[in-house]
Amino acid sequence: MEDRPLEYDYSVTRLFMMNTIFVGIVGMLVGVILAWQMAYPELNTFLGEGLAEYTNFSRLRVLHTDSVIYGFVLSAVWASWYYIGQRVLKVSMAESRTLMILGKLHFWIYFAASAIIVVSLLMGITTSKEYAEFEWPLDLGITIIWLLWGAGIAGLIAIRREKTLYISIWYFIATFLAVAMLHLFNNLEIPTYFGSGGIGAWYHSVSMYAGTNDALVQWWFGHNAVAFVLTTPIIAMIYYFLPKESGQAIYSYKLSLLAFWGLMFVYLWAGGHHLLYSTVPDWVQTMGSVFSVILILPSWGSAINMLLTMKGEWQQVAASPLIKFMIMGSTFYMFSTLEGPIQAIKSVNAIAHFTDWIIGHVHDGALGWVGFMVVAAIYHMAPRLFNREIYSKSLMAAQFWIQTLGIVLYFTSMWIAGITQGMMWRAHDEFGNLAYSFIDTVEVLHPYFTIRAVGGTLYLIGFIMFAYNIYKTTSAREVEASELQNASPMGA
Amino acid sequence: MNKLYIWAVVFAALMIVLTYLSVGTTEGGLNDDVVNQLAVAGAVALVVISVFVVVKYVRQMQVDTADGDLAEESWDGIGEYLNEVPKGWAILYILTMIWGMWYFTMGYPVNAYSQIGEYNEDVAAHDAKFAAEYKGITGNRLVEMGESVFLAECKVCHGISADGIDGKAANLNQRIEAVAVKHAIMNGANNFTTDFPGGMPPGLNYMFASEAELDELVNYVVAGMPADDTRGAELFAQGTCNGCHGDTGEGMPYAGPKINGYDIATVSSVLKDGKKGAIGTMPKFERLNAKQIEAVSAYITSLSK
Amino acid sequence: MFHWLEKNPFAFAVVVIVTIAFAGLVEIVPHFAQQARPVIGTTPYSTLELAGRHVYIKNSCNACHSQLVRPFKSETDRYGDYSLSGEYAYDRPFLWGSKRTGPDLMRVGNYRTTDWHENHMKDPASVVPGSIMPAYGWMFVNEADIDTSYAEQLTVAKFFGVPYNKPVPMKDGSTKIIKMGATVEEARAMALAEAKLITADMKNQDVKDAVENGKIPEIVAIIAYMNSLK
Ligand code: HEC
Ligand code: HEC
Ligand code: HEC
Ligand code: HEM
Ligand code: HEM
Ligand SMILES: [Ca+2]
Ligand SMILES: [Ca+2]
Ligand SMILES: [Cu+2]
Repeated sequence: MEDRPLEYDYSVTRLFMMNTIFVGIVGMLVGVILAWQMAYPELNTFLGEGLAEYTNFSRLRVLHTDSVIYGFVLSAVWASWYYIGQRVLKVSMAESRTLMILGKLHFWIYFAASAIIVVSLLMGITTSKEYAEFEWPLDLGITIIWLLWGAGIAGLIAIRREKTLYISIWYFIATFLAVAMLHLFNNLEIPTYFGSGGIGAWYHSVSMYAGTNDALVQWWFGHNAVAFVLTTPIIAMIYYFLPKESGQAIYSYKLSLLAFWGLMFVYLWAGGHHLLYSTVPDWVQTMGSVFSVILILPSWGSAINMLLTMKGEWQQVAASPLIKFMIMGSTFYMFSTLEGPIQAIKSVNAIAHFTDWIIGHVHDGALGWVGFMVVAAIYHMAPRLFNREIYSKSLMAAQFWIQTLGIVLYFTSMWIAGITQGMMWRAHDEFGNLAYSFIDTVEVLHPYFTIRAVGGTLYLIGFIMFAYNIYKTTSAREVEASELQNASPMGA
Repeated sequence: MNKLYIWAVVFAALMIVLTYLSVGTTEGGLNDDVVNQLAVAGAVALVVISVFVVVKYVRQMQVDTADGDLAEESWDGIGEYLNEVPKGWAILYILTMIWGMWYFTMGYPVNAYSQIGEYNEDVAAHDAKFAAEYKGITGNRLVEMGESVFLAECKVCHGISADGIDGKAANLNQRIEAVAVKHAIMNGANNFTTDFPGGMPPGLNYMFASEAELDELVNYVVAGMPADDTRGAELFAQGTCNGCHGDTGEGMPYAGPKINGYDIATVSSVLKDGKKGAIGTMPKFERLNAKQIEAVSAYITSLSK
Repeated sequence: MFHWLEKNPFAFAVVVIVTIAFAGLVEIVPHFAQQARPVIGTTPYSTLELAGRHVYIKNSCNACHSQLVRPFKSETDRYGDYSLSGEYAYDRPFLWGSKRTGPDLMRVGNYRTTDWHENHMKDPASVVPGSIMPAYGWMFVNEADIDTSYAEQLTVAKFFGVPYNKPVPMKDGSTKIIKMGATVEEARAMALAEAKLITADMKNQDVKDAVENGKIPEIVAIIAYMNSLK
């Protein structure tokens, strides 16, 4: 039986992949709307006064963050897991009925929960905690979804043929464990309906922690949610897709090892950088700054490992838009993991915190690193899922340049906006009075908000081109499985 | 030269120049605020290091070749080299880890930094710098300073031209509006409890024979109590207004404020206690210092002159 | 050496957990008891204020507004005293925010007033030309959820000992009692009485009428909350 090629089962991958594309469009469209609303506030009522409650910036913002992070990114992570997991563990999901059932349940419960989340966020049901806005019934649902995934990981590992876990699997395991821990502790809350003996809204809850403690727990969560949703699983993806697509071996095993354990240890200390100059103890803040700077090294370790994997392979980078996405992704990963630590230095944070410079940082990570890796992963998987060639290579190349331009416009404008505004807030005039009223510091941002909105729109256009390309791929010329060893086949 | 270098330098230079232009054109700018300088230094370091590193690795892709011993394993066809870690990276990795541990165990505890301590020092330095300067600020300079306070603190309610934005707050280009005078006469007023603890009694409209007579008085006050209006002065006395506000409306300490125009003392009373009246509620402003209050009062006084 | 871990998934998972749990235990847990103590002068929220806080959260005002005055001269000039940990002792959840698209609101009750908020929430640009804050017209129509606010008061009083109906020390040495209704009907009546004090300073006739008829529009609750921020 060992020499019969395995028939991997990609049905769950396919579901998650379709969801990635769908939610990606929705979530980014909402992001684009937000961006235009900040430049032109009239757009808060773009569907008329009557619907303003549901179309204004404040209701839509949570919808954007949660749908791109937990809809778009997590779907892509899971699509990749159900693809990579089978292949590097050398075992097919089809070998276990239980695993197939777990996988399908995982998707469908997640899908249903997502729909409920969208509606409830639009209705204004939120606990306000960033990236953990969900009320207790949804917390429970999320726990179930997470455990279903965990059971799937454990099951697949248990029946694996490849005894040594590949690097991607390390990162998937870490993602699973860390998010489970974070989710659990950040969501300790008491439902008030039960706490009060049956009064008021049944879904409402109150946090177990108050004030500064709540802030500490929330940003321990928030920072590491970034680490373990927008970073580790994406590293898991690039460690598979880049060498696989390029046919190159990973540059250095030792580097992978040091980077992984360094990241695990250091990341968790750095959450304090979201609370600089707040009322949490000075030493926690200081540790947050110090460990953020240290964090550059383990982060760059992975990125360098990827870039060096392509050593001497410039012709591949030049020829393949798919590899371009991954190289640009690693580059943006390096950029944002240098930018983050710089913003985490206390004096720099005094300017950067609360400003658009942070938003710029978020998006060069989210659009440049996460978004590009997701796109690359799907471009690599799609031909293998459908036994079809990518519909158009030139469309792919055009997408790459349009989106890159979009990101550059996004982060440069927010960078300048943030630094300018941060300095205006601090400025005193010749008399020692505040030099600007708050609204003065809002008005100067108008041009930057507009540039950002243009950049975001470009990125969305690129993403729609991507969706179209994948859609056409599903109906393109069928190819032989043997053509699919390394590089993805690509049409004109 | 390689196209890559040119692009890299252009990008880095562009970011730095654009940031400088945007920041440099704001008042305050970089000045001598260390925090501003550090932020900009951080931003510059960010572009420069990023560009440098990206160029380095792209060069390796372009000219170097991959080699080394392969590990035995391969996962789905993916191999792994047994290469050593890049030396520069390894050294920095170890150094920063040691630095972090040092900071955790020694650096922070020994340094004993306190952000509140730092704040107190900053405020003391700021105050010391301006305390000397404030003494010399009088006359037009004082009005100028007052305008700067007004634009930062008051314009959200009173509007840039201090006209009260269509009756949403008091129009400060005149001492007082008819509605406000009438409101005080009918309902009394007891806002400025610090300077005028007794307040003004309600129901003084009964001192006037008719609505028309009351309006006549109100117009007289709104007009700023012109000296040649003897009929107005008569009514003012008839209402016993002069008992508290003085015959010419100049105001009397502890009894009643100046109502024929603004002066520093009157506006200061408003800022000390706030005011709830016919138009709405004006908050008090405890966070302004004495000089700022004097200055903004001078500015408002200047508006109706 | 490490290859052993990579061949033993269970051990691998255990080592990962220990590595990632360490920082949280060291950084967060030791401060818990101390941070939760209120400073003198900090009082729990009244039923109406808490309902307003829920309106604030419902509309994610915290997406644009912080409630954290950092210890910088420029911030204490603009917003008032820097924040103290104990001032947040009754804030569940905390609402510090992470972005200032609009100004900090930690002490907005000190320098903005009911009638100003009424104008501003209806149409921000009409009072602050150039404002990019959305208008919140529907708050003048939608009713605030007083029952849920009361349920939360009961819950925090029961589980966290929040001192409702108990004397709380104030800065001037006196004490103050924040009352909480004994029944939900009483809580509603108390909230309505508080709402009337707010509408007395408001101009919008529909809102005034609604309160006269025993209903509390969201705008009244959120203004009560804004005014409580000091
Ligand atoms: C018993 C003393 C007293 C008498 C009599 C009195 N006032 Fe006053 N008046 C005051 C005081 C005190 C204030 C300041 C009110 C406050 O503290 O809010 C004041 C305020 C005012 C104001 C408002 C000024 C502002 O800044 O808004 C006007 C206008 C005014 N008085 C007009 C009159 C007129 C007209 C009469 C006669 C009909 C009158 N007052 C009689 C004591 C008096
Ligand atoms: C939150 C809104 C608000 C702010 C901020 C504000 N004001 Fe006012 N102010 C008002 C309103 C409303 C009135 C009218 C009160 C009334 O008479 O009904 C008023 C009235 C006044 C008056 C007239 C009082 C009188 O005696 O008639 C003065 C003077 C004044 N403000 C000065 C200032 C200055 C100076 C500042 C800034 C340091 C300032 N205001 C900031 C709302 C505001
Ligand atoms: C799109 C971002 C945005 C949202 C969402 C938003 N605001 Fe604002 N807010 C602003 C901006 C910008 C300003 C400054 C300009 C102004 O005063 O209108 C502001 C000003 C304010 C002020 C005046 C504070 C001061 O010191 O002048 C208050 C109060 C306020 N907002 C309350 C709220 C409340 C309550 C909500 C939610 C229901 C909210 N805001 C939602 C952007 C926003
Ligand atoms: C070395 C790694 C990193 C460090 C040290 C770091 C540091 C920081 C800092 C200091 C902030 C701003 C906190 C504030 O002042 O509000 C921040 C915000 C943020 N970063 Fe990073 N960052 C890193 C990498 C990344 C990456 C790779 C992403 C991926 C997308 C990312 C996503 C975010 C997000 C989403 C926020 C916003 C959080 C909020 O809502 O306030 N970061 N980061
Ligand atoms: C078309 C692309 C996108 C556009 C135009 C866009 C736009 C925006 C805007 C306007 C905001 C609000 C900023 C503010 O409040 O000042 C925002 C916030 C945010 N977006 Fe996006 N976005 C896009 C894609 C994404 C993607 C793909 C991700 C994640 C994978 C993402 C993650 C976030 C996060 C985490 C925040 C909150 C940041 C914070 O609170 O600090 N965005 N986005
Ligand atoms: Ca929750
Ligand atoms: Ca944020
Ligand atoms: Cu962080």
